[in-house]
Amino acid sequence: MTLAPTADPTAATTAPDLVAGFPFPFPNETYRYSTNVEPARGVVTTPAGQWGAAVVDVDSAYGDELAERAAILERDPSRHAVLPHMDVACWDAMLCLMRELALSRPDAFGLEVLDGGPRPSYRWRNDLLGIDHTFVLGDPATLPAPPLRWITAQVQEDVVLLDERDGTLYGDAGVVTFAADWSFGFDVGMTFLEIHGPVPRIHAEGVITRAHEFIKRLQPGETYRRTNWTLTIGRRLDVSTELYPEWGPDRETVQVVDDETFGRLVHLRTEVQHLIRLPESGAVMFLIRSYLLPFDELVRVEPWRVRAADVIAELPEDMADYKGIAKYRHRAAAWLRAHGPTG
Amino acid sequence: MVGMNQTSVPRWAWDETAPGAAPDPRGRTFTLLVLPGAAAVADRWAEAVAGRAVRRHEAADVPTAVAALHADLATARVGHRVLVAGTARECLAVRAAGVRAGLADDEMTFGVVSTADRAVWCVHCDATTVAPVAIDDVVACTGCARSLLVYPHVSRRTGEHLGFMVDAEQPGTAAEQPGTAGVAA
Amino acid sequence: MSARLDLVVTSVDDAVPGIRSVTLAAPDGAALPPYTPGSHLVVDVPVGGGRTRKAANAYSLTGESVHPTSYAISVLRCATTAEGGTGAGGSAWVHGLAVGDRLTATPPRSAFAPVHVATRHLLVGAGIGITPLLSHLRSHVRWGRDAELVYVFRDGHGAHVDELKELGGDRVTFLHDRAGLAEHLAVRLAEQPLGTHLYTCGPAGFMDAVVATATDLGWPASRVHLEPFGVAALDPGEPFTVGVAGRVLEVPSGTSLLEALEDGGLSVPNLCRQGVCGECRVEVAPGSGPVLHRDLYLDDATRASGSCLMACVSRALPAADGRAHLEVTL
Repeated sequence: MTLAPTADPTAATTAPDLVAGFPFPFPNETYRYSTNVEPARGVVTTPAGQWGAAVVDVDSAYGDELAERAAILERDPSRHAVLPHMDVACWDAMLCLMRELALSRPDAFGLEVLDGGPRPSYRWRNDLLGIDHTFVLGDPATLPAPPLRWITAQVQEDVVLLDERDGTLYGDAGVVTFAADWSFGFDVGMTFLEIHGPVPRIHAEGVITRAHEFIKRLQPGETYRRTNWTLTIGRRLDVSTELYPEWGPDRETVQVVDDETFGRLVHLRTEVQHLIRLPESGAVMFLIRSYLLPFDELVRVEPWRVRAADVIAELPEDMADYKGIAKYRHRAAAWLRAHGPTG
Repeated sequence: MVGMNQTSVPRWAWDETAPGAAPDPRGRTFTLLVLPGAAAVADRWAEAVAGRAVRRHEAADVPTAVAALHADLATARVGHRVLVAGTARECLAVRAAGVRAGLADDEMTFGVVSTADRAVWCVHCDATTVAPVAIDDVVACTGCARSLLVYPHVSRRTGEHLGFMVDAEQPGTAAEQPGTAGVAA
Repeated sequence: MSARLDLVVTSVDDAVPGIRSVTLAAPDGAALPPYTPGSHLVVDVPVGGGRTRKAANAYSLTGESVHPTSYAISVLRCATTAEGGTGAGGSAWVHGLAVGDRLTATPPRSAFAPVHVATRHLLVGAGIGITPLLSHLRSHVRWGRDAELVYVFRDGHGAHVDELKELGGDRVTFLHDRAGLAEHLAVRLAEQPLGTHLYTCGPAGFMDAVVATATDLGWPASRVHLEPFGVAALDPGEPFTVGVAGRVLEVPSGTSLLEALEDGGLSVPNLCRQGVCGECRVEVAPGSGPVLHRDLYLDDATRASGSCLMACVSRALPAADGRAHLEVTL
């Protein structure tokens, strides 16, 4: 695998594995917020292929997305934040991500324990990036970069680490370069409930407090997942609040482009989120992996076309508004309905 | 509209009708930080903890209050409480300093005399604008001149509101048009 | 959440009177799941030897947590009811285990973890309550954190004394009497720099005394942490009735609501059976009398709402008419 430059947001082709592995987020004909968590690693078969076997997923966009993350961090260091008490959680997260990589792609990744005991040492191998490195747990001098920074340069997932104290979860560390309409740099240090404060509906419906209770009950080794979704214009992973002036105008202009351009630009964006209780620190690792599929690819899978059109057309206005798709979602639904096999 | 009670903005920072807070009577020692115009609140509190070891600091502004706080915390023992009387903006800023210094929520009490002023952090240019502005209103960023929506979202670590460009989606207002490449086919 | 590990006893150590240290491993010697310092295993105690019911007892893990190939627990033998004590027989069963015996247990569960924002950790243990604090101390030493440990035990009956000394050096203080403890604690709790968190484990009366001293000195609740498994067995309670699924069941004194439901052929998910894990939560239905909660799981607001209870420990309180009755939905 070679490291390609940052992906061209207008690129029209989608690699076959990105379609086959796309986690289509609509199991039902309508969408509402729910605490839709399920045990991780369950394979979901879709009309195009399957997803879900791996907690940390490596696909053909690996090189592109890591290069994009590196460029974003270079431009805006606030996407990486670790409060001082989170050092153990960062080591924990790094080891956990290494184990998950090795589990999903043993051909390309390997973690070997060289020495157990109170201060274990390890050998880490990442053949995709040509890394073969030995380090000692807890000794930053044995790593080329701080642990969370180093490992997030080797996974496509964004990472947030939640510290639990006094019955409350706090988002106290993370590397988030592919945020969908939020600012990690601003939210770092907030409680889980505060981070979700501005989201409509979820409080009245008790979704967020139930999620909070659920996460607190997670025990080490337990791994759960859920999905979330929105629409994104262009193959743009970084739709952070920081860059809103750059991508915000797309929501207007997309309304007047021709049909062919619309299908190429509008992407269904699925976030596959994993929740993992880390053993040594007791912190909870929250992984967010963002998958983008352009509408003109999505409609080639007929059940996806029909289901996506139904869900997007039916979505209540306040939810469409919060997702930032209110201005063009009716065109999006109409576009999908018009692009059937006979259309 | 979001129910404010669920947000990161403490009730005392937006609701002037919120009941006044009282010092934790279980505290052994106290730091009392008094910002301008808040002496009446501070006097009430001083009476409530009379007989306890109280260090009272009259502070002309937030940096002075934070300096006094740091000086007290350097030698403080567990059992210490921090009482802050001032405007909501000042209280949020001092709370942020307390949080960063390791104080827990049950070790700090705030007495708010006004919620008129807010500090708004621009997520686009990193500047902070202090102005008399309400939540969900718009303020001009002193750093980049964008019109910022004052979001009902406050950082524990800075005490500032999140501000983001309110009209970014309107054509011709975005400050960085080249970044929108990809839409014009 | 009720998966079980199969484990085999690989060693037993009875060097300290009344306390047995047991080492457990996977039958094939494989690596065991790592765990958070302060975690416990819930060990399944079978029927037999005078025990008429299966039980599940929680024991704190005392060994290395990062790459364990064995789990270590230390168990104080409590006199059983048949012997005139209050123990249900679980600890006596552990004291009867031999090398090679097999047992099942949950994977490690964390309910007493070190708090990471703490700049200093003060650990105060009594008797067998030292076990989770030993695990804490190991992790503090591993990560170079500031920690101090106070251990009170009857002279000659201290568990893990040499290990604690080796790990903690002069940061460890051993005491042998209550008066000395009170004096020492009053000084140590008054002198902790802001940023310190306090962790205590031991008999209920001991923990109450530690918390009372801390509270008197102004310690806020957010800095004080108790290990609930140190709590002594709850009292057997008054008899009451429960209405469920159109039936009315009797719950005698000494029988829990959970046991009564099970005896009635109703199944309720459960794990710790001590009001800690939250698994056996059941909904309170209309027409129910007041609840005596006694659990350590629900928060005050939920408890006050009266909408649910923990079947393993909660009981009925007599209503105004003197009748003690609950209505529940499974």
